[in-house]
Amino acid sequence: MMMNPVLSRELRERMRTGRAFVVVGIFLSLLTLTAYLVYQGSTTTGDISADLARQTRLGRDLYEWVLFVMLALVLFFVPALTAGAIAGERERQTLLPLQVTLLRPRSILVGKVLAGSSFMLLLLFASLPVMMVAYLLGGIRPLDGLKGVGIICVIAILLTLMVTALSALTRRVQTATLLAYGFTALLVLLGPLLYLTMSVADGSEGNDVENPPALLLALNPITIVADAAAGDNTSNSGFSSNNPLEWARSGVIKAKSLNDDSWFAWFPDDNFRAQFRVEGKDDGFPAWALGVVGLADLAALLSFLAVRRLRTPAETER
Amino acid sequence: MTSTTDTTTIEILPTEPTDTTETTAADASVAVRATQLSKRYGNLLAVNGLDLTVPRGSIFGLIGPNGAGKSTTFAMMSSLLLPTSGRIVVMGADPSRKPRTVRRRMGYMPDNLGVYDNLRVDEYLEFFAASYGIARTEWTDLVDGLLELVDLSVKRTAMVNSLSRGMKQRLSLARALVHDPELLVLDEPASGLDPRARVELRELLKTLNGMGKTIIISSHILSELEEMCTDVAIMEAGKLLAAGPPRQILERLGGARNVRVRFANGASEAFSVADDAEQSALLRRLVVEEGRDVVEFVEESGGLEQLFMSLTEGIVQ
Ligand SMILES: Nc1ncnc2c1ncn2[C@@H]1O[C@H](COP(=O)(O)OP(=O)(O)OP(=O)(O)O)[C@@H](O)[C@H]1O
Ligand SMILES: [Mg+2]
Repeated sequence: MMMNPVLSRELRERMRTGRAFVVVGIFLSLLTLTAYLVYQGSTTTGDISADLARQTRLGRDLYEWVLFVMLALVLFFVPALTAGAIAGERERQTLLPLQVTLLRPRSILVGKVLAGSSFMLLLLFASLPVMMVAYLLGGIRPLDGLKGVGIICVIAILLTLMVTALSALTRRVQTATLLAYGFTALLVLLGPLLYLTMSVADGSEGNDVENPPALLLALNPITIVADAAAGDNTSNSGFSSNNPLEWARSGVIKAKSLNDDSWFAWFPDDNFRAQFRVEGKDDGFPAWALGVVGLADLAALLSFLAVRRLRTPAETER
Repeated sequence: MTSTTDTTTIEILPTEPTDTTETTAADASVAVRATQLSKRYGNLLAVNGLDLTVPRGSIFGLIGPNGAGKSTTFAMMSSLLLPTSGRIVVMGADPSRKPRTVRRRMGYMPDNLGVYDNLRVDEYLEFFAASYGIARTEWTDLVDGLLELVDLSVKRTAMVNSLSRGMKQRLSLARALVHDPELLVLDEPASGLDPRARVELRELLKTLNGMGKTIIISSHILSELEEMCTDVAIMEAGKLLAAGPPRQILERLGGARNVRVRFANGASEAFSVADDAEQSALLRRLVVEEGRDVVEFVEESGGLEQLFMSLTEGIVQ
């Protein structure tokens, strides 16, 4: 079995430019800065070492903040780094020579996606040390930490696939970049916005079937991470955390209290919010897994279109 | 007269219902055959009912003004573009139905030279070797041989984007040769080259032809094609105007040639002749019958150039 030629070429090119190291540098400094700010914000309010519960809460907060910033960086960097993957080859006129070789369209796509996501994975591995700090503070179990980073890896890979596929559907890097950012923004904002407009339109605020389905919120990268990261360590801390993932969870819980239509389980591991669990109903498919499957379906659809677009001979030159 | 019989057979074959586009005995002498090939872009017929036969082992020149449809024809030949109607058979296979068979047998050099930014010359060729499924163990020898052939050995570890245009062109040609194809389709390979590089390219193409490869080349540099090509086709606005060996086209279309004669006394005179017979008669008359001291007897270059100018009308689609 030969290594995908596109992948090995891409890796070679990327490592040579040094851009990779710059991006890893930015990624790490932002994560470190986040950890520092969360830590600072917490220690100024009292002597932390005296209070184990508070320390645990700090660890938890730190973990969730870092996860959130990692996700934000993924959502920002994936379009920036992969939007030009195939549109760029078209623009530089390097695609035609490739299309007359024996390389299949799906190999071109797979090579690009592997190159893009291996780079994202490198970034995520580089950020593991920051995660260690949260673990040492006692906020998370090692498995929670891995689960959080793992789910971000999965989102990074799926987003890379979707953005690369969009890149195959466009001619110019500029168009591809706009499309990639627009698409990513929709992925994050469309569900909540639809949900909000639908609930405003409904207005009754009661637990009735008129309320928009909570499913709208499940496909969202932020709620996927929030759901997957919800561990049981918050249960005995007695303090509520304060971070974006927590805000996302509160939003979901509110939505769920208005219309408990989800046939899948939100926050299955979270003892603290066991009150929201309906016996026998919330033991189903975890919400984050549902979200991942949804994103994977979307990615599969886009890849199908991309491969079709890359296939030659075609009606017009591609 | 066997060749005539062959031709007749070939002309009949495509209309037979049993025809499968796969290699037939008659195809053995034909590298590319286009039959009523057309390509439509919206309202524009970029290629319009083109009938073309490229003999195996030939250097075939496709000549035409800008927008004539040369690149479009090449893209259909190279399994990149589907014809709107008509058909084309390349090395015995239909690029629309068996693109991979065609790709194995054909090397294509597009008119645009896209190169990667951060790749070395040898890595560039290795990448394409990999894309053609050539085993890694063969890469070093392959790259050595190709760089030697296109005279780029000294640039082996240079960055691709640091090469001059002429070097990029030669690298592009080397890339088209990576899988040792029997047929080379080169879209304006000489554009942007300086005179020396052009001569070198011509020599290189002759070498490749000597190795048994059929070469199809498009160009605006007509005098060059005339000297190098065994066959040419002239097209304009998607239509074929003339095809055949350059000499034969010139004669058939009655394109007058100019012969410039310089005499020992320094005088120089121009004569117009119709064909080879007339040209040799002229020489005989001057030297033998009139006994003049001829020091130089040259056919003016640009025979095709003139023919081209008289054939094409500058139609812009
Ligand atoms: N993708 C396309 N969409 C629409 N029209 C096209 C497309 N590609 C080519 N054409 C048109 O088809 C015609 C033939 O173009 P083509 O590139 O084949 O000409 P050419 O003979 O190669 O010209 P040149 O000598 O300038 O390279 C032109 O009028 C061109 O505008
Ligand atoms: Mg052209």
